[in-house]
Amino acid sequence: MSEKLHAMSAAPGLTLSRLRAPRLGLCLLLLAYLLGSWTVARSGLDVQSLVLVAAIFGILAISLDLVAGMLGLYSLGQGGFFGIGAYLTAIAVNDLGASPFLLLPVVLVVSGAAGILIGAMSLRVSGLYFAITTFIFTLVLTVLATDLQITGGTQGLLGPSFPDLPEMLSFLGAPVAWCILLALLLIVALIWSLRRSPLYPVLLAIRDAEPFAEAAGVRTAALKIGVFGISAAMAGLAGWLFSFMGVVSPGQFDWSVSLNILVMLLVGGINTTLGPLLGAAFVSMFPAIVNINPWLQEIIYGALSICAITFFPAGVVGLILRRLQGARSAAHVESEAAPGTAAPPRVARDGAEIAIECRAVDFGYAVGPRVLRKVDLSVRRGHIHGLIGPNGSGKSTLANVIAGRLHPSSGEILMNGRSVHGVSPSGRARLGMRRTFQAAQLVRELSAGQNVSVGLHTQIPHLFRRAPVWPFLPSARADIASLNHRSAEALRAVDAGAWVDRHIADVPHGIEQLTQLAAVCVAAPDIIILDEPATGLSRREVDHLAEILSALKAEGVTMIIIEHQTRFLLPLCDQVTVLNAGEVIVTATADEVRAHPVVRQVYLGEQ
Amino acid sequence: MLQFLLSGVAIGAVYGLIGMALAISFYVTRVINFAQGQIMMIAMMLTATAASAGLPPLVAVFLGLLGAVLIAVLSYYVAVKPILAVNRLGFGWLVSTLGFAVIVENAAALLWGPTSRPFPQMLNGISLHLGQAVLTGQQLLSILVAVILAGLFEAVRRYTLFGKLGVAIAADPEMASAVGANTSLVAVVAFAISGLFAGIAGILIGPNTFANPYLGHTYGIFGFIAMMIGGGTEKPVAAMFGGILLGVLAEGANTLIDSQASDWFPFVVLVIILIVSPRGLFSGGGGWDALRRRLMPAVRDAA
Repeated sequence: MSEKLHAMSAAPGLTLSRLRAPRLGLCLLLLAYLLGSWTVARSGLDVQSLVLVAAIFGILAISLDLVAGMLGLYSLGQGGFFGIGAYLTAIAVNDLGASPFLLLPVVLVVSGAAGILIGAMSLRVSGLYFAITTFIFTLVLTVLATDLQITGGTQGLLGPSFPDLPEMLSFLGAPVAWCILLALLLIVALIWSLRRSPLYPVLLAIRDAEPFAEAAGVRTAALKIGVFGISAAMAGLAGWLFSFMGVVSPGQFDWSVSLNILVMLLVGGINTTLGPLLGAAFVSMFPAIVNINPWLQEIIYGALSICAITFFPAGVVGLILRRLQGARSAAHVESEAAPGTAAPPRVARDGAEIAIECRAVDFGYAVGPRVLRKVDLSVRRGHIHGLIGPNGSGKSTLANVIAGRLHPSSGEILMNGRSVHGVSPSGRARLGMRRTFQAAQLVRELSAGQNVSVGLHTQIPHLFRRAPVWPFLPSARADIASLNHRSAEALRAVDAGAWVDRHIADVPHGIEQLTQLAAVCVAAPDIIILDEPATGLSRREVDHLAEILSALKAEGVTMIIIEHQTRFLLPLCDQVTVLNAGEVIVTATADEVRAHPVVRQVYLGEQ
Repeated sequence: MLQFLLSGVAIGAVYGLIGMALAISFYVTRVINFAQGQIMMIAMMLTATAASAGLPPLVAVFLGLLGAVLIAVLSYYVAVKPILAVNRLGFGWLVSTLGFAVIVENAAALLWGPTSRPFPQMLNGISLHLGQAVLTGQQLLSILVAVILAGLFEAVRRYTLFGKLGVAIAADPEMASAVGANTSLVAVVAFAISGLFAGIAGILIGPNTFANPYLGHTYGIFGFIAMMIGGGTEKPVAAMFGGILLGVLAEGANTLIDSQASDWFPFVVLVIILIVSPRGLFSGGGGWDALRRRLMPAVRDAA
């Protein structure tokens, strides 16, 4: 089977060729959009308000897609941020006579800061509780808007009017229409670029495989809060735009609006560029198009949203994309020889002779017996250190404690002679410690190559600043080429080169293991922790894995390997530690361990 | 003082029942049924209609509760089960249960018209004097019914096999179904019970609010707050404590701050509580319990 796969050549150039997508088509699309905007700006008020409200909801739906689609954070706070933007503008212009344009940065900062605050507060609770916290935020804002004097109660406030264009530009039509439609264009371009940047796999990794992202050095918490802040600022922008559309009142921002934005997103297609726009257009134009008894209309709306979510859970655009992808995956993408830059030389840390040291590490959960008891372990630089023991002996727990995912209840971990107490998993990864997981943690909807590239994200200069305009940057080409090249190389090095463009959802278990290993190796770390790397590999693949690990050792990499297949592990090891019931039984060379009477008894099963 | 405490407990008992209704369905399916308030409203509308058609109040109440239970079970089959079948951990139910709520509310408005209908007065005519405070019979009934239902629910959850099945499914649905639990049946029963609780809440406040298709919205939100304050997402009965706390706070705010204060005061409390203890006050492991353990180390050892 493996031979056949080798026949298929690797194709690292998928992202690259997409980058060279016909610029002409893009320009034509842009021209069509501008012509459409011009038409809207010159058309009657009813058509104008229909399109413009849909466009504003389009921005809101995109702002939700940014957090829900890419990070898995289902925010019900978009209505709240939307309200902050609209009320802030209406109050400041009406009461203080501020200029709307000078207000825009204020609105972005205030709503963004609100988002960062809510994000930081609800980060300790994830998933459903994030949705609930943001829901309550919207609830409270609506109540405040209804009961406060300054917001005009249930009546609301009259929004400001948009400044007129100078006389000579009046042929352009209504300026507010241009403002809204150009803002939408800007937001769409922003998200479109983000999807094509190397930040996108990183965000999806946070969504689907957070431990993997952390182990690759991604500051997941900061990134989540930051992206949520940006999403909130976008919703604030939508509110700023909305205030020019007439009255600003509590009903326009209450929790059902937040939920409707989610309906738009899910109906149109989550995590797609066009889906949120289609959904927003459908939901906001629905009442105007289906002009019947308002109650009946609402009933139909409810029924349609249930049907949509039941029968097309990926949304309309998602459905179409899946069809297209099915057709495209048959055609194989040709390999492109990318002029990759060489991997940076491994940082030779000459300082400490001991790479990893555990001093009297204790760990226990709130209930049950302690999992680790006074574990002492020291791993010499450049050694392969085996960690064996029966199931439940605490091997993976020890790996998690060393990698920073679990905090020891007492004791100390030293990395290169320095205590890493309080350093997060991503911080330890940035210090040069990478790891794999027993159950592979990867993003199923990305290709193996993209998953590997997550491991490289720390090495792309100014990634966060560049991601929003990525495809427009000349320097991005070289970066993408080198990124793809190095990811493909890393996969080839672990003998999984043929799988570069396959989605992880479609690869066998062994390839997932190898992809994890490639994602670790690609970053050229100097300490690697492998948790059962040989699981699910064929005999031949295990032999190859042993060669890879020996090669890494020759480069001076320090490794801690947990493994049950002692026939594979022991010949590689300089030192082996045997754990049983959370205690170190012995640390010695492989031969001594094999001969050790207690080890033979507890691990190899001799009487 | 006594007056707002008593009437606060009475209205809080109703919030608590709705909160428990939300929590019971959440407990088994990990889904917040946004249609819970509308299910309560259906019970009120049916009871009001049956009573004005000349049926005896008890029969009218029975019909109302039956309707609520049926709608609740329907909501499971329409808005929850198909969604969870696709993706058990997704958030599609946010959309589908809201869609169901929209359908029920507008269907009721279409059917009965958007105006309020008279509701049987039940025990509202009786007034009981306790010192300086006055309590209507209906208020006393609310407190009694809520206490009995909460106690009964907790007893069933803890001591019967069916209740333990619910606990098992709440903890790990896949494991529970692997050892032979009929997760779908338990979920249906949980939704039926939640419909019953919501319906009873509706019958208890009906004499004061009358029956109106749009009541579900407000009371659904108050039930939600009760659940969140109490920590009903972890333990349904905690929602009852949350509801009573909410009721007392709202009535107290009206008496001590101003007559509009119950509109915003509970939300402020909710925010403060969730900042201090995101999992609610009475859920165990959260705020109240942690405080108790800190103050009384002996409790921890006993547990």
